[in-house]
Formats: sequence, C-alpha cells, structure tokens
Amino acid sequence: MTSEVREKKIKTNGIWLNVAEKGDEGEPLVLLLHGFPETWFSWRHQIDFLSSHGYHVVAPDLRGYADSDSPPTHESYTVSHLVADVIGLLDHYGTAQAFVAGHDWGAIIGWSLCLFRPDRVKGFVSLSVPYSPRDPNLKPSDLFKSFGDGLYITQFQEPGRAEAAFAKHDCLTVMKKFLLTTRSDFWVAPPNTEIIDDLEVPSTLPDWITEEEIQVYADKFQKSGFTGPLNYYRAMDLKLQELEILAPWQGYKIVIPTKFIAGDKDIGNEGANGTIKYVKGEMFKSIVPNLEVVVIEDGHHFIQQEKSERVSQEILSFFNKLRNITE
Amino acid sequence: MEKIEHTTISTNGINLHVASIGSGPAILFLHGFPDLWYSWRRQLLSLADLGYRAIAPDLRGYGDSDSPPSHESYTVLHVVGDLVGLLDSLGVDRVFLVGHDWGAIVAWWMCMIRPDRVKALVNTSVVFNPRNPSVKPVDAFKALFGEDYYICRFQEPGEIEEDFAQVDTKKLINRFFTSRNPRPPCIPKSLGFRGLPDPPALPAWLTEEDVSFYAEKFSQKGFTGGLNYYRAMNLSWELTAPWAGLQIKVPVKFIVGDLDITYNIPGTKEYIHEGGLKKHVPFLQEVVVMEGVGHFLQQEKPDEVTDHIYSFFSKF
Repeated sequence: MTSEVREKKIKTNGIWLNVAEKGDEGEPLVLLLHGFPETWFSWRHQIDFLSSHGYHVVAPDLRGYADSDSPPTHESYTVSHLVADVIGLLDHYGTAQAFVAGHDWGAIIGWSLCLFRPDRVKGFVSLSVPYSPRDPNLKPSDLFKSFGDGLYITQFQEPGRAEAAFAKHDCLTVMKKFLLTTRSDFWVAPPNTEIIDDLEVPSTLPDWITEEEIQVYADKFQKSGFTGPLNYYRAMDLKLQELEILAPWQGYKIVIPTKFIAGDKDIGNEGANGTIKYVKGEMFKSIVPNLEVVVIEDGHHFIQQEKSERVSQEILSFFNKLRNITE
Repeated sequence: MEKIEHTTISTNGINLHVASIGSGPAILFLHGFPDLWYSWRRQLLSLADLGYRAIAPDLRGYGDSDSPPSHESYTVLHVVGDLVGLLDSLGVDRVFLVGHDWGAIVAWWMCMIRPDRVKALVNTSVVFNPRNPSVKPVDAFKALFGEDYYICRFQEPGEIEEDFAQVDTKKLINRFFTSRNPRPPCIPKSLGFRGLPDPPALPAWLTEEDVSFYAEKFSQKGFTGGLNYYRAMNLSWELTAPWAGLQIKVPVKFIVGDLDITYNIPGTKEYIHEGGLKKHVPFLQEVVVMEGVGHFLQQEKPDEVTDHIYSFFSKF
C-alpha cells in the first residue's frame, strides 16, 4: 500500500527533514503534520487516499523525529521553529498556498501556521487538538500545575525523566501503550507513577492496526529515541513558549477555512468541559468563525489511523469544497 | 506640553506609560534607543492640531513603563505584543504608525506580522533588513565592524552599564543625541564612553531642559531595559524565521538624515535607492533623505518631519 510513497530529505530552516511524498507534483499540495509520538507513517491511509484523488501529498517526519534532524536543545523546538520548518518545505515545493492537516502536535503547528502565515494556508484541518488562544492572565505552566505532578506534560518537562521511564519498556511496548490507548482523561498518572507505566496495553490488537505497523514506529524510535519529541513539551516550559511569543496575536480571529475532527473518546473529551464542548462553544466560534466540526463516534486519539476511511473522506471533501469540487 | 495626557495602560502582562493628545485617526509613535515618548514631543502637539490622535508610549524597558528583568523578554514579538494590546485597550482597530531607531525595527515587524492592524507607516532611520538565514545579526555586525562596534559592546549584561555609570548622565545623553559622526560607532573597552571627550555645546534643537528630562528618566530607570533590545537581537532572529522572505505589505514612507550612522553603513544607500528596500517593501511610496541631518531627525527638524508625516498619512 505504501510502496509508491517516495521519501527524500529536504533542507529547511537550517535542518534536514525527511519527507514522504505521493501523488502528481502538478496537483495542489496537501501537507500532513503528525503528532506525538509518531512519524509520517501515521498518515499512510490519507497519503494513499488523497494522492489518488487529485492531490500532491507531502508528509514530513517533524523536527526531532525518525529520519529528520533532532537539534539537541529544547530551545530549538518552539512553535516559531516548527512553523519555519513548514514554511521552508512549502518554499521548497514552490507552493504559494497549501492545504494543511495536522494531528496532535501537528495540529498545534497548523494553528500556529494560521496565525503566523495565513498567506500560505488555503484551508486547515485539525485533528484532536483545537486552537488555544493565549490568555495573558493564565500561564500554561500554572494551568498544568493544577493537574498535579501526574500530568504527562509535567512529567515530560525534566530532561531525561521520561526517557528513563520509557526505556524500562521495549520500544514496541511503548508504542502500543500510546497508539492503543483508549483513555479519554487528560492523561494524569496516579501519585509516584510514570505515565508510561500507567498506560495499558490491551490484550488484543484492535482491527485498525497490525503488529507489523506498530513495529514500523518501534524501529524508528529505537533508532532516534524520544528526546526530540519530548523537547516539544520542554519548550512549553520556557518563558518564550509560555506563549509570550504569541502576544501579537492576542484576540486574533483565524478566518481561514478550518475543520476540526475528533473522536468522541479522544483525550480530553471526558467530562462536561471536554475539548469537543470547547470547540462547539461560543468563545471558540468567535475566534475561529469559519469552522466545521466533525465528531467521530467511538473514535480515540490516533483517529486518522483508527477511523482512516472516515477521516480521509472528511479531509478530502473539505479540501475539495475549497476548490469548488463536489464529489 | 501640559495638554499632553499621561496614562498607564496594562498590556501583554506589563504596564506601559503612554503620552497622548488629540482626537481623530490614531497615530502611534515608537521611539528608539536611548529615547522616550518625549522624542516625539513636537510631533504630538503638531499632529494633534492637525486633527489626529497622537499616541506615544515609553516602550517596555524605558521611562515610566515596566522593565521585565530578562533580556529574553525584549524580542520584537514581545514589543509588538505590547502594542497590539495597547491598540486593543485604546479601541483602535487600524493605526498609522511612525517609528524611529529601535522603534522603526519594531514598526517593520508589526507591519510584517500584523498588517491588519496598520493603515500606513512612516518609518525613519533604520531600513528593513531581510533575514539572513545563515548569520545571526549580532554576529554579522561583529564580522562587519569588529567587537568594539557599539552593538557588540552592548551585548554582555552589565558591562556597558558599568561604563555608562562612570559618565555624567547628562553628558551621556548629550553625546548620544548630538553626535554627527556618520561612521560606525566603535568604543574600545579600554576607552569606554567614559574615555570619550566632552560633547560640544548643545545644538539649538536640544535644550538644557530636554537633556535634564532624559537624564532624570534614565538615571531613575537605568539603561538596561533599553540595552535588552540589543541583547535580544539574536533571539528575535531565531523566532522570526517563520517570516523569512515575506514582504511587508503596508504603504510606507521612509525618512533618514544623511549624517545618520544607519544611512552610512556600507551598502545601505544603494539598498535604499537602487531597489533593494522596495523589493522587500513593495508599497514603499516615498524615500526622503534629509541633508545635513543626523540620527534624531524628529527632534533636529521637527517641523519638516511633521510635514512629511502629515502629507503621507493624509493620503489615506
């Protein structure tokens, strides 16, 4: 299925990114941005589907991941760096405006792209993670503190801590703990417990992923480690990433056409104040007025793999509509 | 001057002191180093008389505004964030912008990242320089002019402050404001500012009262806040990578004195007059070079500068 995917290295923003590509280069470009802890491989279904429906699909391993460069310090993982990586990719392809889809951290990059360079985005699909505008009166680190030390983001801060915890398991197990999770709380571990130990591996694999596919991830992380990916979280602790650098976009309305897709059982959808409620609420509509929301029943976090056909269709129909193509 | 109102506005997590006067379309004036809202005193009065709401803050780190302690809080993103918050506070959707020196750099970046908030820009002294992807700005200045170049000498926290402290603040202000030497200012460590000869008598456009005003504010506040802008230059470069290659799409008029050190940096004249600047600022409509005028043009030739500002903004 992925045998015709081409991989190549592209220089962007001072680093080399490994990029998977499929489809006719003359067609409109779709940029797919993966999340944590993943690789371009998470988009395998969408890469095939979108490329066979008239799109040139480009899916990088993001900075810090797999076969892309991993700058050593977490200061190099702010959204400024990540967005500049993406702009460099678009420049490489000579794409004035791209269709963009992002999942998890890839969604955060996509939202930031909509703030920083709306001129380069035709339409944006966000999976799982909504736009969180900066609240100058509430620092992210204070918000996270309210969840206690068990919050995965807090546990990911200290350099080396999560790496050591993950290393107690083989990479295949680590990947299963993440990819197969069905938890919809905000991933808070009990006291004195590392989140990786708290995540459970189900006894049987669900039908949407095979052992071989999980091994693809395990092999990549075995080689490249988890520090690069964890640096995204460590950059959040910096004064800079305390969203101070987002201050110029205080109150900014993202008017680019956007679509939000999430499973109703995704992380953060538990309880009355979950993500989906936020996204459907008045506040969100006021800052992202041009938004469609799709909730997929029985969907969990790694939605583009778990509900691949549905997600592929939703992405395609959205981008096609922006091109005035009806099925 | 008594008609100028002084208020404190809370924005982007800090308090900014703001001087303002007049009503009508808003003009936001951004000072440089080592300066204050006061740089624009003549323009504030004149443009208010001409039917504008003239607004001039002390930028973060200066005068009666807050000075966050770390130089990492002085990137262009921080300062533009202050100004967007200021405009929101004042209920101004789109503003006319005027910048000088560091204020010009901030103005360029405000136009780059929030063009939706700017109607038109009159910028002075400092051109927009496109980002060099391989060399950080401070490193570039060091390569060009050596480690005694003032920007390089300003880098080490505390070092130049100690030098400044050994000079009478009034003399220091006088020296900064009245220098007419267009050559790149280099201050060897062995000499320092303390070793420079006494500045000449004040020019007609800068009175004892003016100097005293500045000296009092800088004695109170110190220079670290202002110096932090220089200390954050490389960091700003890193964080503004997303906008590499993007043009500034706001109507612009650019004014500079031909004795300004910035105009005399090698290559700058050609860059301004032979299309370089226009490539990056495609709506650059007018360039004015003021003959025989130094760096602080809005103080040296206040009426002319006011006229230039007024004639440009009245087009919109």
